[in-house]
Amino acid sequence: MDATVKSSFIAEQPKAPAKPLVLWRPSAKTGLISWLTTVDHKRIGIMYGLFAIFFFLVGGIEALLIRLQLAVPNNDILTAHQYNTLFTMHGTTMIFLAVMPLGSAFFNFIMPLQIGARDVAFPRLNAFSLWTFVAGAIIVNIGWFLPEGAPDGGWFGYAPLTSKTFIPRHSIDFWVMGLQLLGVASIAAALNFIVTIINMRAPGLTMMRLPVFTWMTLITSFLIVLSFPAITIALVELMMDRQFGTNFFEVSNGGMPILWQHLFWIFGHPEVYILILPAMGIVSEILPTFARKPLFGYPIVVFSGACIGFLGFAVWSHHMFTTGMGTVATAAFSLATMAIAVPTGVKIFNWIGTIWGGHLKMRTPMMFALGFIWMFMIGGFSGVMHSAAPADAQQQDSYFVIAHFHYVLIGGSIFALLAAIHFWFPLMFGRKVSEFWGKLSFWAIFVGFNVTFFPMHFLGLNGMPRRTFTYDGNMGWNSANLIATVGAFILGVGIALYFAVVIYTFFKGEKTGRDPWDGRTLEWSIDTPPREYNFAVIPTVHARDAFWYEKHHQAEIAKEKAEHAQAEDAHGGIHMPFQSVWPLVASVGALIGGIAACYHNLAWSLVGLVILLAGIFLWALEGADGYHIHLDKDGNILDEDAHAKH
Amino acid sequence: MSSHATATLDHHNDPTTSTGIPNKKLLMWAFLASDCMFFGTLISTHMIYRLHPPPGNPDPRAVFDIPLTSFSTFILLMSSLMMALAVNAIQKGNVRSMRFSLLTTIFFGLIFLGCQVYEFSHFVHDKGLTISNSILGSTFYTLTGTHGLHVLIGVIWLTAMYFYSFTGRVTEKQAIDVESMGLYWHFVDIVWIVIFTVVYLLEYL
Amino acid sequence: MSQATAPAHPGEHHAEESKFWVYVQIAMLLAVITGVEIVAIGLPFSKWLLVTSLVILSVVKFLFVIFYFMHLRWDKLFCTILFFIGLVLAGGTAWALMLLFGVEDSKPLTYEEAASIAAPADVRFIT
Repeated sequence: MDATVKSSFIAEQPKAPAKPLVLWRPSAKTGLISWLTTVDHKRIGIMYGLFAIFFFLVGGIEALLIRLQLAVPNNDILTAHQYNTLFTMHGTTMIFLAVMPLGSAFFNFIMPLQIGARDVAFPRLNAFSLWTFVAGAIIVNIGWFLPEGAPDGGWFGYAPLTSKTFIPRHSIDFWVMGLQLLGVASIAAALNFIVTIINMRAPGLTMMRLPVFTWMTLITSFLIVLSFPAITIALVELMMDRQFGTNFFEVSNGGMPILWQHLFWIFGHPEVYILILPAMGIVSEILPTFARKPLFGYPIVVFSGACIGFLGFAVWSHHMFTTGMGTVATAAFSLATMAIAVPTGVKIFNWIGTIWGGHLKMRTPMMFALGFIWMFMIGGFSGVMHSAAPADAQQQDSYFVIAHFHYVLIGGSIFALLAAIHFWFPLMFGRKVSEFWGKLSFWAIFVGFNVTFFPMHFLGLNGMPRRTFTYDGNMGWNSANLIATVGAFILGVGIALYFAVVIYTFFKGEKTGRDPWDGRTLEWSIDTPPREYNFAVIPTVHARDAFWYEKHHQAEIAKEKAEHAQAEDAHGGIHMPFQSVWPLVASVGALIGGIAACYHNLAWSLVGLVILLAGIFLWALEGADGYHIHLDKDGNILDEDAHAKH
Repeated sequence: MSSHATATLDHHNDPTTSTGIPNKKLLMWAFLASDCMFFGTLISTHMIYRLHPPPGNPDPRAVFDIPLTSFSTFILLMSSLMMALAVNAIQKGNVRSMRFSLLTTIFFGLIFLGCQVYEFSHFVHDKGLTISNSILGSTFYTLTGTHGLHVLIGVIWLTAMYFYSFTGRVTEKQAIDVESMGLYWHFVDIVWIVIFTVVYLLEYL
Repeated sequence: MSQATAPAHPGEHHAEESKFWVYVQIAMLLAVITGVEIVAIGLPFSKWLLVTSLVILSVVKFLFVIFYFMHLRWDKLFCTILFFIGLVLAGGTAWALMLLFGVEDSKPLTYEEAASIAAPADVRFIT
């Protein structure tokens, strides 16, 4: 991005004509309105994070209730129906409302900083993604507060369980419409990230110099963009079945329920990598920082990530080995699944190579990152066991599968995301978590997690089926279940401790200056907490670990920055986008229309649709205007001048 | 530097981005890649149920009306041509010519939608194919209806752009806005090219 | 700034001028191909030949639209790559689905088939 050329486009523009009242631009910098109308990627990232953590805790409470019910045989704390609701909502919440948005929080906050950009490519679209995500989350959860009840068809909603015959209540309609909106939000955000990473890199930042977290953001975004359409179609077909009496999954009229499974897993398997690739990116940032070494085999790590992403589309049927696909298909998907373990294993060796011989600094983020490698490997091993179709036939729908994917999702994704919170907390808020309490929460989580899920391997191999609300006392599953429940509560205490410490740190934690970990990527080169314009001067990148290079070539970089600052100032200063209210309005329209559509209420659906369209129309009409700021030597804003950028 | 206003803009290179591709164009192509998967799975659903029809499924040949569909296919192709001409016009700064081409595109789009409305009501009332009485009806109406919805969104977009152009704010510099809209419109056209062959023509072999 | 001055290649300006006629000619070609397709389905050739030619004709139409009307021919290569990632994945997924559903084992049994292979006790259960 050549800043001087960019500003020449702006300089010759006339001043914006006086706008009618309907195109009101909020300009508050603090307060509720400023957060609701923000287009700043950092604020949007923080809000994604807060919503995700809230839903993570909700999903955790659901999990504890499930474990409480299973603690002893023939327990009756929950009814079978309540149990169904809880495991459905636990899965849906954790995947779509906790892990994905927490990843999104870091994509939003960190990725633009890592590529030396002042915002994402489409700031208002980014706000729309956030609020549509919130609308989807509300619709998925709204059933808790209504007589219909929350969704109860399993997080994968297998047909024909979700048909009107078996679940006539609107709970499944909430699930369908909620996921539909979450899909829209994810695709819009992912498109934004793709354009940002490809088009808004700082000068000199070639693709093979991108930080690995940014690379994984890019690959994850591609997976989102290409896999979500499959579930969108599946959900459309299910919605048509439920609302308009079509026959897609209606056996009596020639529908094939197996089609749902295929469409769902065409999305569902890439989704697994959508959850884990950001985690791999995070760990690839943390390990080199605390091992005081560059990442071992950077091109291989990037290539394996791309390879996993691509192969992720060719393995979906390994979720369906027991449905009878014929020998050829089974063998093919079995082989592809074994093949995808190779790039994953390669990455593990890269991480080990990174810490090998390094001067390890055992800080809290590093503990979580090391925990990730170990726990994710265990999850990977049981995953490879599933790839052999005959073995899978034994493990299908048993607690062995539960153990496997919790090792990958908690031991993998969650560990890495918890590491990321500690790692980037000083950058986001200028404070640091105390090492003692951080490590204590790590050990509580680590022990609780293993005590919960390791016994589940044995439960599964002993034949305990998943998704059953209770079991008999004579099956030999009693002690393992009790241990798992005790472990779950240790894990719960650990998570509670973790977030209590984080909240305490936010208010009272030790203050840190710029770059507390001696970081290697560009996000550490700026003030903490970051200013709204991110970079006073757009950096020029000379090497892969851009900030380490800057630290070792300070004179050269200072000269270069002074020149660029002068050039940019001469061409109008730093361009900032105006805040906008319309993305929020459009999302509110989607929320109203979504809820009304669940009830098959045409009038309110139209109201929602009109608000949505009006929001989008006014959003387009107000244009991507912005204003310019000039900075003093310390990075404080001297003055602002309004400009029309379009 | 200041010669932008006079010299011809290069519409295939944007110096402000890392790759030279304008952000909006890149966004649109990525979205279209996503939409390929969208229609890919939807068309697959239709094909799967056509290859494995349940007993008693109606014969599409007794339902379809090839002359009508051929006509609407031709209309959509022509609307694509007019869209391409609209983009061409605005890239040369010719707003009046663009406006005419847009209006023609909207007109052809509306004819296509009209044909589809007629086709649907004809199938339902005269041929007895409803969305719920057979799997053929379910997949056919959902697939072509989803495509029709894409056309409708395109027509709304085109109309909004047509009226917006009277504010004088659509100039050669905003050609990318018209071009992204054009990409969307052409994509709707190529999806129809596939649907016309797969859903309609292959039934007659 | 070179992008603000004359186009890099001398021939390009001429190409811009004549794009109008390129578009019109391509539209005519597309219309003709569509006509050929409609006629072809009535011809007494073997089925595989007709299917192949219909697919090829559609692909030709598809490519003309994306490379000319959608300017891929004149744009940066990356746009083409980006679109083809989606296109190839969609095609591959559709192809895999066709194969999966075509496998004998995965076909749903009709009522008669189910009745004929089931044991007598089960027949009673089904009926």
